[in-house]
Formats: sequence, structure tokens, C-alpha cells
Amino acid sequence: MADSASTLRLRAAAASSWKGPVLVGIVALAVLAVCSVALPTFLVNNLIRAFLYAAVALTVDLLWGYTGILTFGQSAFFGIGAYAAGLIFTHAGFSLPLAAAALAAGIGVAWVVSRAVGWLAFYHGASPLYASVVTLVLPIVLVQGIYSGGEFTGSSSGLSGFDSFDIPLEAWFFIAGALLVLLALTAWMFVRSDAGRLLVAIRENEARCEYLGINVSRYKARLMDTCAVIAAFAGFLFACVQMVVAPEYAGFVFGTELVIWVALGGRGSLIGPIVGAISIDVGSAYLSGNLPYIWTLLVGVAFVTVIVAMPRGLAPLVAAAARQALPRRRRAAPVPVSFAVAQPRDGGGAGNAGPALSVRDVRKHFGSLKVLDGISFDAHAGELLSIIGPNGAGKSTLMRCIADGAERSGGTVEIGGKGIRTLAPYDCVALGIGRKFQTATVFESLSVAEALRIARYRIAPPSRWKRETTLELPQPALDVLRLTGLDRIPERECRYLSHGQKQALELAMVLALEPRTVLLDEPTAGLTKQERTQIGDIFVTLTSRYRMCLLLVEHDLEFVQQISSRIVVLHQGRIVMDGGVDEVVNSELVRAVYAGETHAAANHTEGDA
Amino acid sequence: MLNLGLDVVTTAAILFIVSAGLLMVFGVMKIINFSHGAFLTTGGYASVIVAHAGLSWWWSVPCALAIGFLLGMAVERFIVRPLYARPLDAILATWGLGIIVGQIITLMFGRGVQMVASPVDGAIPLAGGQYSAYRLILVAVALLVALALGWLLNGTRLGLQTRAVIMNEALARGLGISSSRVRFMTFCIGAALASAAGCLITPLASVDPNMGVPWIVGAFMLVLVSGSSLVSLAVASLVLGGAQVLVSTFVNPVLGGLTIAVLAALLLRIRPEGFARG
Repeated sequence: MADSASTLRLRAAAASSWKGPVLVGIVALAVLAVCSVALPTFLVNNLIRAFLYAAVALTVDLLWGYTGILTFGQSAFFGIGAYAAGLIFTHAGFSLPLAAAALAAGIGVAWVVSRAVGWLAFYHGASPLYASVVTLVLPIVLVQGIYSGGEFTGSSSGLSGFDSFDIPLEAWFFIAGALLVLLALTAWMFVRSDAGRLLVAIRENEARCEYLGINVSRYKARLMDTCAVIAAFAGFLFACVQMVVAPEYAGFVFGTELVIWVALGGRGSLIGPIVGAISIDVGSAYLSGNLPYIWTLLVGVAFVTVIVAMPRGLAPLVAAAARQALPRRRRAAPVPVSFAVAQPRDGGGAGNAGPALSVRDVRKHFGSLKVLDGISFDAHAGELLSIIGPNGAGKSTLMRCIADGAERSGGTVEIGGKGIRTLAPYDCVALGIGRKFQTATVFESLSVAEALRIARYRIAPPSRWKRETTLELPQPALDVLRLTGLDRIPERECRYLSHGQKQALELAMVLALEPRTVLLDEPTAGLTKQERTQIGDIFVTLTSRYRMCLLLVEHDLEFVQQISSRIVVLHQGRIVMDGGVDEVVNSELVRAVYAGETHAAANHTEGDA
Repeated sequence: MLNLGLDVVTTAAILFIVSAGLLMVFGVMKIINFSHGAFLTTGGYASVIVAHAGLSWWWSVPCALAIGFLLGMAVERFIVRPLYARPLDAILATWGLGIIVGQIITLMFGRGVQMVASPVDGAIPLAGGQYSAYRLILVAVALLVALALGWLLNGTRLGLQTRAVIMNEALARGLGISSSRVRFMTFCIGAALASAAGCLITPLASVDPNMGVPWIVGAFMLVLVSGSSLVSLAVASLVLGGAQVLVSTFVNPVLGGLTIAVLAALLLRIRPEGFARG
């Protein structure tokens, strides 16, 4: 009974993910068909260009608005597509096979260039500013190349007067419009799908994504490749319609204009950039004649105002106003996500008799400053190993050196018997390690369920076209959700969670990776007494029932004493003690190092006595 | 050969003068000021105004400094200050500001190219050849700018506070340094410098509403590879400017124009800190 109801709901959800876009698409195409004959020729002509620009603006929106990669270079890909057509039609003439060849060449070159840009701009540890720099240099280089091409590329005046498809303007209008509609709907389905939420996750917290086992750099590069191909296609159509190509269409100023349209319309909202691009481009066609410089000035003022005062652009404002004005429509409540137990995978590490984590002679120095000096220890499955030590002892640095192969200066780290060499964090995750950060890092604008699905991205790649209504999680992650009540609020956005809930959610996200070894950096910081007890119980369960290996950095000695099975004391980058709980806690050495350091000033005389 | 050497040195000097203001702003505020080009243009037009007023060209330098400083005050307060936490947005907003300034100048002065008489005519005979006197003067000006900024940073109270903010802003604030005041002053000084630079390059380039734009990318790349140090900027100007001159002379001028951008982008990929602490 319950089962059939849920499958029904599931089927309805799957259908609705297609129904909306298809319906909108049909309506949009019908409107296009009517407009192509009803609108005046001048407007039709301008709209064709505006549609193609809007298609490129859409790619800028995907890259920048959704994923946070500020790009000035989409104009270059547009230019590549346009010049591929212009060059071939000018020098080889026009025929259908040649047109196909030009399209293939444009897309191919754009793809190769995008791969080069991706290699330059996206690597582990690259700053977002650097990616913008590369996309800025690209159109500049391309335009200079066009300039220096002389007769062949038409230099600064571009190419014109070549033949093209012999189709009436109305047909071009429909083709360009249909391309835009198709693109927008595909993008719409993608960004709303489970996989599409990763774009937002990357924008909000790239580091967390990497530590969830996602190769963010590669993902960004693939996204850029896709966007480059789309822009090149739009450029190809542009050259075919306008029968003219010029360096400005590949230039960096056009690249910034695309960004301006997206920003004004509303980044991260597909409809905003489309409306922004079309209205500003068509607007300037009409108004820049009457108000030559004022129009550009107004666009500039609007752009600065929007960036400073309403970073999300005009789309949210319009949407809010529309919601106010229109009679209240009951929004169909989203089908709530229900959690289910994921079948445990055949973990290779489970049967492994060796240590879950083996650290040998790990060293880390910044210049001459030694932060870690010859750290060696093993940790086994089922063990809860706490690392204590005063501030600056190197505890957090040690955590970083275990979870990111590029961090340490020397020594070896083995996870489940495999060395991490200089692997990036996402590859370390694949070896079976999970890291929880010191401050709770979640994705502010994703819901609890979405954040957890991102955490499952590596193991169970989500759908690109729809939203699933169930989310399978491993038992330990479900336990954490149940204990903290997060399983009852899967739709709540992370930004509205309490500090303790965020900590719990991050822990659940890490556990969703099905790690054998979990690194926990001060997981109880800022928690209430009750939450602390609760999380302590969870840790004990993880080690005793699920045989995980937990590595815990903690300041609270009492808490450590209650839950640990072993304690390592770190002091000035060295291990000064490694032993059982009682042995360590009662030792004179620890009292001297730990208490002595932290309360040195207050207890100085007492210590002497 | 001597000519080539002088080209390298004078090109480096010009690049240094043009980029110094941008470096100040980036070093302290970690913000790329894309309106830098607009400030350059403003400075160029300051010399046009001075020429219209019938004054000697040399008046245009203090005039450009003053205009740049005043404009910088307004821009910092209303555009840059709200965007400290959003550095990528700051790039966009300052770029937008550049559009606004360019359009206002076009409305005021027209779209055409303005000619400004060069303050120093002719060439100086040098070891058998001749060399532009004005370019040589710019080398001295670059040294002067470097010394003035060095003194400002190392010899004044504001400079001490500025260095504190560069090193550790949170700590500096904790010590009672008003970091917003430091930023404000830095931006104004950076804007004034940019404006003065724009005025100084007028004898070499034409004055038009978009004269600043071609300089931005070069200056921007130089600053990125220099971090926040004037010394690195001098080294970067010399190395990359030198490469630009060599490529322009021996390969072709179009490639020469790309040298700085391409080399800097590659350098940053291999060595993200660039010339800083090199």
C-alpha cells in the first residue's frame, strides 16, 4: 500500500520534471513563430542578433552566476565560431558541406582552446582571480591574432560579403530563437537537477567539494568546454545570419558586455540573463541612435548600481514583485526527500588487517619554521585516536597533511595500505579518508538533502535531468541524522541551521563518503554540553559498531578522556607521548606540556609549589 | 644597441608609473581596480584642460593628482567600500565605473582625439644617436615615484599603518588602526597616482575617451605578478617590459603587445606568487 503510493509519487515527480520545461518550450516556440511574421523587420533583425547574444550570455551565467567562475572569455569562443564560418566562406566559398565543415572547425577549435584555458585556469589550489585573468587574456590574444592575420582574417575591419545560407530573415529568427529556447530549457533542467546543484555547491564552498571527493578543477574545465562549444555554435550562426565578422565580436570588451547583461538580468537565474541580454542589446539598437552616449552611460550606471546594491540582479526583484502582484497561487509543495539505507559496498579496506592509517616521519616546514617534525604513528580500524596538544602544536597541520598529499614537506602517509603520494584531497577521499573541518563548512544555500547528495556525488552520481525523491545514505550517516533530528528537515536550507546542526550535517556528509578513516578537527567546538555528549556517543558507535578509525583533534581533555581509546600528545611539532587514555592523562609530562602551557601565567606559583 | 637598452629602460619606467597606483590599491585592499584605466584617462584630460586654460603643460601634473584624489574619494566611499568582501564583484563594479567615466568624458569633450603639446621637444644626442628627451625624463619620474612611495610607506605613520594592514588586517584592527581609513587613503593615493600617470603619458600617446583601456590589462598583469611590493613591480616592469620591447623589435609589434599578458599568465600558472619574494 505505502509502497505503491510512493512509486506513484515518484513517477509523478519524474514526469513533472519533464512536463514543465516541455510545456514552456512549446509555448515559447509558438510565440516565436507568431513573432517572426508579426514583428517589424528591423526588430526581427535585431532580435536574431540578441537571441544569439543571449545564448552566449546563458553560458556566462552558468559559469559565473551558478559556478562562480567570472569569465571575460566567452566572447572569444563566440568569435572563434564566427570566424570559422567567415574564413571558410570567404576563402573556400559557400556550400552545404563547407558550412558543415566550418561548424565542425569552429566547435573543434573552441573545444581545443577551452581545454588549454581549462588546463591553465583550473588546477587544485588555483585562485578564482587567476581563472578570470586567463579568460581575460584569451580574447586579447585572439583579437591580436586576428589583427595580425592581414588579408586572410581581414585584420581590424573583419570579413564581409561572403555567401551564406539563402534563408529568409523570418526563418533565421525562428532558428536563433529555437536555439535559445532549447538551450535555456536544457540548462533549466540541468541546474534544477540533483547533479546541477553541484554548480552552486562549487560556488559556495569549493574546498568542501574537494574534500567530498569531487575533482572540482576537472568539473569546471568540462563545464567550460561545454559552454565554449555552445558559444562557438552561436558565433557560427551569427556569421551565417549577419554575413559579417569583426574582431570586436571576439574581443574582451564584448566579453565584459556579456557579464554586464548577466549581472543586470540576475546571475544565477537563467531567465534574468536572457532578458538582460535581449533588452539591452535591442534597447541599444533603438536608443543609441537618439541618445548616443547617454544610453551607454545609463547601462554603466545601472550595472554599477546593481553590482553594489543588488548583487543578484533584477530578476529576484521582478520575481518578488510578481509574486506580490499576482493572486496567491498555492505552490505545489516539493515532494519531500526521504532517506533510505544504502547497501554497504564491498569495502576493500574492511578485511584489511593492516593499519587504517599509517603516518611515517611526516615533516612540514614553512621556510625555516618547522611545524611538524618527524611524526610517526599508526591508527587501526575500531580505534578512536585523539590528538591533543597546546595551540600551535601542529595538530591541524597534521590533519591537513593526512588529507591532502600536496601539503607535507616530507615523510609518507598511507591510507588503508596505499600511499597518498602527492594526491589532491579528492583522490585521498577515494582512498577512504574523510575530513571534517574545524569550523562547520556546509553549503549555505543548499538544503540538507541537497548537501548530502553532493556528498554522495562520488559514489552514486546523481541524475542530470531530475530530482530524485529518495536519497540513499550509509547507515552511520543516517544514524547521525536521526540522532540530531536532521532527517525530519531535509528541505531546510543549510543557512537556517543552528551551529550544532551544521556540525552534525557536516559530519553526516563526511560519513556519506563511506570513509574507513575519519579526521575530525575540533568537532565539538561551540557545541552545548548536551550536543557534545550526543556527538561523543556517535563517535563511540562509529568506532565500535562500524569499525571505523577516528582521528580526533580536541582541546577538551575531559571529553577526550571519556571517548578515546588512545591519545597522542603533540608539542612543538613532535609527538611527546603516545599511549592509553589513563596513562597519558595522568602523566606528569602531559600536565607540564598541556596545562603548563595553557595556564602558565595563572598557575605559575602554584606549579612551583 | 644603446637605443634598444634605452627602450627597455624607458618602457619599464612607463609601465612602472602606470602600474604603481594599481599596485597600491591591490596590495592593501586586495582589490583589482579596473577603473584604473578611467583614472588614467581622467589624468590625460587634466592636461587637456590645462592646455585649454593656457597654462604651461607642467601644471597638468598637480592638477591631475588633485582631480584623481578627489575622484578617488568619491569612488572609494560609494563603490569600493561596499565591495571589500566581494573582490570579483569589485572588479566588475570598477569596470562599470570605467564605462561611466568614459561616457561622461565623451559627453564633455567629444569623441575625437585631443592633441596635447609635448612639454619637452626633440631628442637628446646620445653617443652618436639620438633619443627622445621626454622618455628619458620619465625614467627620472619613475624613480621619483618609487622614492616617494617608498618614503610614504616606510617613513610615515600612515605608511606604518598601511604595512600593518597589508600584513595582518585583523591584528592591525585589534591594535586600534582604522583599516577603513587606511584603505580610504590608499585608494585615493592610488587614484591620484593613476591620474598623474595618465597625464604623464599624454606626450607619448593621444588623448581620447578610451585611452586608459589598453593600459589596464598590462598594468593589471604586472600587479598580479608583483603582489604588493614596489620592488617586485620594478623587477616585473623591467623583465616583462624588456621582453615586450625585444619581441616588438625582433619578432613583430603585434606579438610584442601580447608579451606582458601572456608571459604573466604563464608565470602565474607556474609560480602563483610571481615575482614577489623572488
